[in-house]
Amino acid sequence: MEEIIFGIGITALAGALATVAGAAEDVESDIGSQGDPNSQVQLAPQMGYIHRIFNKAIAGEPPAYGLWVALGAGLAWAFMAMQINPILAIVLGSALAVFVQGVYATTAYLGRTASLAKFGQPVYIDILKSMTTVTMAHAFVAIFATVAMCHLIISALGHPFPLPLLGLVWGIALGAAGSATGNPFYGKERQYQEQKFGAGVPISASGNIVRYAEAGQRNSLDNGFFSAKLGGPASGICFGLIVFFELWRTVVFEEFNIWGPIIVGVFVILVFAIIDRYIEVWARKNFGPYTAPEEASS
Amino acid sequence: MSALGGPKQAGGIQPPTTMGLVLGIVLIIIALILAFFLVQMAGLIALIGIIIGGVLIGFGVHFVPVGGAPAAMGQAPGIATGVAMLAAGAGLAGLFGGAWAAPLGFAVALAGGAIGGGLLMAITCTMVNVIYVFGMGIPAASGKVDKDPITGDSFPEYKSQGTEGHGLPFISWVGGVIGGALGGLGGTLIYLELLDVYQAQLPVILNATVEQIAPIAISLAGIFAVAMFLINAVLAAYNITGTIEGPHDPKFKRFPRAIIAAAVASAVAGIFAIGLLELVGVF
Repeated sequence: MEEIIFGIGITALAGALATVAGAAEDVESDIGSQGDPNSQVQLAPQMGYIHRIFNKAIAGEPPAYGLWVALGAGLAWAFMAMQINPILAIVLGSALAVFVQGVYATTAYLGRTASLAKFGQPVYIDILKSMTTVTMAHAFVAIFATVAMCHLIISALGHPFPLPLLGLVWGIALGAAGSATGNPFYGKERQYQEQKFGAGVPISASGNIVRYAEAGQRNSLDNGFFSAKLGGPASGICFGLIVFFELWRTVVFEEFNIWGPIIVGVFVILVFAIIDRYIEVWARKNFGPYTAPEEASS
Repeated sequence: MSALGGPKQAGGIQPPTTMGLVLGIVLIIIALILAFFLVQMAGLIALIGIIIGGVLIGFGVHFVPVGGAPAAMGQAPGIATGVAMLAAGAGLAGLFGGAWAAPLGFAVALAGGAIGGGLLMAITCTMVNVIYVFGMGIPAASGKVDKDPITGDSFPEYKSQGTEGHGLPFISWVGGVIGGALGGLGGTLIYLELLDVYQAQLPVILNATVEQIAPIAISLAGIFAVAMFLINAVLAAYNITGTIEGPHDPKFKRFPRAIIAAAVASAVAGIFAIGLLELVGVF
């Protein structure tokens, strides 16, 4: 029984770390503009809209985070093999991985923005100076929390995978959860903030992203501020729930029956099916069918 | 004409060419013969398991509703990320669960892998709808069918002007869970087959006990399972070309071609994974 209670505690801690990691991952990717909405950041200058948004989408979030978390986990694992305290080892490993992320962000911004030179898009050095460090800071939080979570899963819950491999697995899952949940909020609600609320962005508006803020031109730090309100926390909840339920069903129910975690897993999936269907029906009932804006219909 | 401006995507069945089919079967047979000569019957069985695992992954990816960049602007239905990447996220989460349950038996591990992948997709798809509905005020509407085949909900009147639909209809949610489960099942099957091969070979090569070689065997089997997962997921993504809404999408019917490609790729990559230690032993 004590073992189960200890396992539940570790599961809760791992879930909390995953929640922080998911939130930091989404805000980092939105400040760096790495997700799918970056297609519009790349497109805007080609349509004549010069902007001051960061641009580092040379890889999807899942493979990028797979690399950074595996790198942080691998280095932490090596430090731990050198008898360094695990917490210090994870901090050092994550810090070194973040330098790789910083190099990636810098070269990606310079490369992608320079490719738009023929459309008149300048490379802003002040953007590079002020925003790269902010994405690095958020990436550190995401990498540290994920590596710490992986270490807990191995050392306290006894998962057989070595730390670097587990880092790769959960790094890719982190990127998948963060990009799936956070991208629409950054893409539709932020980049196309001028479009009507409650409708998709018509294709004719493509590239016309919002470029001006309350004072002066909008930059990616403003986008991070916006994403931190809903997209980031929602991504955090998504990844946190994934990690929590994945661990919880095994830690608690494996003791009773070896099929216990599977039966509970099926039950949890059915619960989420009901929640999803409820949300879908609620939206149809409350929002109603699409009606064209008055300007468009007149 | 597509609302996204490009020519309408061909969604029908595109059978593989005879030449491709023959070449694929020849490659699979060569791989099976090599597996038999390298590791005898155990190698043959392992390679068959790896091929089945690869096919499950390739087939499963077709269920996952992925809208890519247009979905991020509410211009197309699905999840706003890449096909291969989302499937990999789900499948690898399944592999995590399957590998954990491996000591409890083959059937439990496979079921654990499938449920792990399905659970990730269930939570992710639900959170996608949470963001669409509560963050953006947009109800789900499919662009490929007029009615949801499961719930019977009608879509055309909910679709925003100038878009191909948006959000995640219930049929796409179900497709996502099935895709994640198949991916987790396939990935775990590959992992278990490779683990069996390595646990038989490594003690002989390294002159050690099964307990002593366990970390190396688990690491090797895990990394090869991840690699083969990505190979098959990317192959399936090429077959899909861009975005897919799920099992109701006409593009879903393209899956036979992906199954053949996944079987051949898994056979060729699998023979390297199985024969790795034999080669190391030679040197």
